[in-house]
Amino acid sequence: MNGALTDRLKAIFRDIETDDVRDGRLTVLAPAASVLSVLRLLRSDGYGYLQLISCVDWIDDGQLEVVYVLSRYLDGEGGIGGGPIRVVLKTRVPRTNASLPTAIEIYPIAEPYEREVHELFGVRFEGHPRLTPLFLEREYEIPPFRKDFDTRQYVEDVFGSVPAVGEESQDS
Amino acid sequence: MRELELYFGPQHLGMVGNFSITLKVEGDRIVKADANPGYLHRGFEKLMELRSWIKNFPMVCRMNVVEPDSMEMIYSMGVEKLAGIQVPERAQFIRSIYLELARVGSHLFGLWAYANMLGFDTVAQWAMYHRDLVLDLFEELTGGRVYHIYIWPGGVRRDFPDGFEDRIVSTLHSIGGCVPDYDNAFFNNRLFRERAKGVGTVTREDAVAMGGTGQVIRATGMEYDIRKVDPYAAYDRVPWDVHTRTEGDAYSRIWVVRDEMIESVHMIFKLLDAMPKGDVYNRIPNPFKWRIPEGDAYVRCESSRGELGLYIVSDGGDKPHRAHFRTPSYPHGLTVLEQALVGESIADVGNIMISLYVVAPEIDR
Repeated sequence: MNGALTDRLKAIFRDIETDDVRDGRLTVLAPAASVLSVLRLLRSDGYGYLQLISCVDWIDDGQLEVVYVLSRYLDGEGGIGGGPIRVVLKTRVPRTNASLPTAIEIYPIAEPYEREVHELFGVRFEGHPRLTPLFLEREYEIPPFRKDFDTRQYVEDVFGSVPAVGEESQDS
Repeated sequence: MRELELYFGPQHLGMVGNFSITLKVEGDRIVKADANPGYLHRGFEKLMELRSWIKNFPMVCRMNVVEPDSMEMIYSMGVEKLAGIQVPERAQFIRSIYLELARVGSHLFGLWAYANMLGFDTVAQWAMYHRDLVLDLFEELTGGRVYHIYIWPGGVRRDFPDGFEDRIVSTLHSIGGCVPDYDNAFFNNRLFRERAKGVGTVTREDAVAMGGTGQVIRATGMEYDIRKVDPYAAYDRVPWDVHTRTEGDAYSRIWVVRDEMIESVHMIFKLLDAMPKGDVYNRIPNPFKWRIPEGDAYVRCESSRGELGLYIVSDGGDKPHRAHFRTPSYPHGLTVLEQALVGESIADVGNIMISLYVVAPEIDR
């Protein structure tokens, strides 16, 4: 059963790479153009539960890696035990003008995760209906979770000039 | 009727935590809800990239104020998985007992918030008092009442002190002895039933589509509990049950919480009986010079709110390259809440939100 999914993925998508299943986990590397179709296939294979969309900044490679972690709920849709418990789908996009198609139609839960990745890493999700800020209140030149964003310098610039308590209280 | 926009929270009596919802209302019916969690952004995940593996513990705890213990657990699990560290059997039992105590404490806190919101002030005070008894146990064990940093990669920081098992049992007995009082005053109370029944219903299809876990999904009849599905610590060493209800509304979610709390107490007794002797931690390399091999891992555990996950990446250095927490309140407080509020009345916003067990600090880490 474990082999079946890997074989099927490989037969349909020539451009993906897969690892062996280890600890119930299958890692799939796919190019950005095939992400949606791989997700669709996994969805129809019973991986109905998108646990997480994360993003990792590999600044030395000049790429952002968007990671989809998928698994199954235990009942319906194939049940536990058939195939690997978890599929980790990774795709890399260039750091400049990073963009990916949205997965909301396949997984509604993708909505807030994509918003978060867009806000913190600057990956545009094409077709997302609401790419508005989720957490942050200011505009940033560099999305703040990228590696070249210097948190310490930012704190110094934004909060460094706040007067210490008691210093400016004479006139009150 | 005219449609109005209403800002609910963060300064609102019916709102718990740093969270706001922008409601579109017609009369007092909600047409659309727009959750806004951005009042507590500390950027912990980014700050973790600047600190060594071991120094991250104080930050990890503070992501969920109500139940920091599962946060410690998940981070330890992630580090152990990346570094290939084994945990001794006794430490696995201690971890489970400790996490179940934390679950009881967290559920009591949740009950406090919920009962308070419905106007059951007496029940709320009882729950707060009983949570304090659990915190006393934590204080004795770890030195801290709220943030403990007790679970550690490779095991736990120290063994139970002398006679601690007996004190766990007697504390839990004194809390458990009050269950009939809680039932009379709250769970079987008609006021609770009428306020909560049929309110904020989340169907199983919706819960599954929107990543619901924990009480949200167990209240729809699905026996989904990470402790059963993907056992960790010592949860597969003793028998225990997953409690479910079928209605999917606020009433059944709170009942699931109640049943789960009682199950946790029973589980602690069973774990205490089955606990083996032995070491409580395996030595780890010098934490100040600790480099963890390159790789990534996704680990998950069942916190008192649902599935807590961690995606952690190491580039072979002495700090995490990336850590991303998948907290249960994230889907519950954003997608599930926004959907559950539609069609409900303004008076039930707090009711629905607390019954979904949303803790704002978890969403905006």
